[in-house]
Amino acid sequence: MRRILIIDDEEDIREVAALSLETTAGWEVLTASSGAEGIRVAESSTPAPDAILMDVMMPEMDGPTTFRKMQENPALTHIPVLLLTAKVQGVDQRRFSGMGFAGVLFKPFDPLALAAQIAEKLGWVNE
Amino acid sequence: MTSDAEFDEQNKTMLAAIWQRHRPVVLERINLLDKAAAAAMEDALSLEMHEEAAGVAHKLAGSLGMYGYDEGTRVAREIEGMLLEDVVSDPARLWGLAVELRRVVFPVM
Repeated sequence: MRRILIIDDEEDIREVAALSLETTAGWEVLTASSGAEGIRVAESSTPAPDAILMDVMMPEMDGPTTFRKMQENPALTHIPVLLLTAKVQGVDQRRFSGMGFAGVLFKPFDPLALAAQIAEKLGWVNE
Repeated sequence: MTSDAEFDEQNKTMLAAIWQRHRPVVLERINLLDKAAAAAMEDALSLEMHEEAAGVAHKLAGSLGMYGYDEGTRVAREIEGMLLEDVVSDPARLWGLAVELRRVVFPVM
């Protein structure tokens, strides 16, 4: 069973994404409401998450900053991180490219399609 | 065994429950956009409210479609675009969009 960590400061986004991934894909979901909490959860999770779905705009520590901090911990560098963002402008998308993310997904997401979109981005489709 | 139709229905029911729980937050955010639009109409939109309203519009744009309010996301995204400018160039348009957003998400029965 896949284990996914969702990091988003919006409670309803976490709830809907968790519902979506648990019910449509049968994945186990961990959640965190901030970048700092997300790092703690990722570090303490056994086994480690198979992937992280992370919001971009969060107070205190945004998604890209959280990602950079995760890359400082060798235990976390192998975990693919997908950005989940409501920023749809090309300039924002270009900013994210080349930063090392496994992909970008956009809000609002379709709860029935989210798991399939993650699987496609991470090459899990044929598993 | 649960059929696909039953599965979809269960998911819809759970999604509706999440929406009901978070509806007051959405309403509060739309109220804030109303206030920001009204302030812009009076040329009295403070920097603090301007930034807060832009953030709120961004959050609404990213969440409403998740509940099926695709038009709500479209309108909130347009509001966000207007509020990302240093100065609201068309306060009347902003006001109209705020009214439209409320009508789309909370239609009067």
